[in-house]
Amino acid sequence: MSLRSQLLKGILEGCILAIIKQQPTYGYELSVKLQGFGLTDVSEGSIYPILLRLQKEQLISGTLIKSEAGPKRKYYHLTNEGQKALQEFIQHWNSIKPPVEKIIEKGGMIDESE
Amino acid sequence: MKVNEIIEWNNKKREELTDENKRIYEDMVVYIRASSNKSEQQTEEVLLELLEHLIHAQNEGKSAIEIFGANIKAYCDEIIQEIPGEKQKKKIGFGVFLALQYIAIISFVTGFIGFGLHYFFEIGSGGFTFSLISGIIIIAIYLLLLYLFIKVVMKWIQNSIFKKRKKWLEFLQLWIFCTLYFGLYYVTPKIIPTLGTTITVPILSIGLIGGALYIGTFIVNKKVHITK
Repeated sequence: MSLRSQLLKGILEGCILAIIKQQPTYGYELSVKLQGFGLTDVSEGSIYPILLRLQKEQLISGTLIKSEAGPKRKYYHLTNEGQKALQEFIQHWNSIKPPVEKIIEKGGMIDESE
Repeated sequence: MKVNEIIEWNNKKREELTDENKRIYEDMVVYIRASSNKSEQQTEEVLLELLEHLIHAQNEGKSAIEIFGANIKAYCDEIIQEIPGEKQKKKIGFGVFLALQYIAIISFVTGFIGFGLHYFFEIGSGGFTFSLISGIIIIAIYLLLLYLFIKVVMKWIQNSIFKKRKKWLEFLQLWIFCTLYFGLYYVTPKIIPTLGTTITVPILSIGLIGGALYIGTFIVNKKVHITK
């Protein structure tokens, strides 16, 4: 896997954890939300391998809800491990986002006055 | 939800797909299901999710390619890679169940055909002579052959889905493979030497033991749901 797609996957994982944290979510709903936030470049199907991996790592857990004749949906919720992983992701993100933004803004020139 | 309930629902729900989407989706189902040693529960759950997603997308005028990407095989491989393996206990249980049923069917068929041939056409002695050690070796080889047969067929199915091969070539491959399997099956008892003392029993008793074993595995399966 290329570095670019690995980076994207890591970020996407963090976003998925953050959305599931708000309320239990099922696959299609999750993809609609991601798209709604503007992540339209991400192909919709790419969330499913990630959801499987997050389940395997026990960061989320899914329950297939049986309903009267209606659709059977698998709702995901965050586990305690998942809460921790999300906190870590937010920390990492916050530590990486300002420097990256600065670098892009200044075109790689270090500002001596700072 | 139990696996068979999910599969039933999947079959019903699948009818909502357009012909094109159904063709793509069914390729994905066969390909993903044919991957070995994966948790059946997780496999069926993700297949149902993909189906639900595809139906939603279809209603919005999106195609399967837009959802899963142009390379469906690569997408399926990604899914398969993330599906957890089947639990060891379940795997062994299923293997033992399959082996016992297989032995039961062979014994049943051997016993009753042997009995029929002797009783109605006076072919054969009506007795079944075997040595315990050779018998065990032969059964072990049969089980190994069955295991290899299943493995190869599954792999063959997976390979045949996204690579559209010529029909006659597929037929030839399967024909050669089946001939090989039955050839080995036939030859095995002939080349294994008789080791130790031999026992002779009426051939019908082999059939009855096979029948009883089959009913036994059937009842156990009903109780503990090995295959469901």
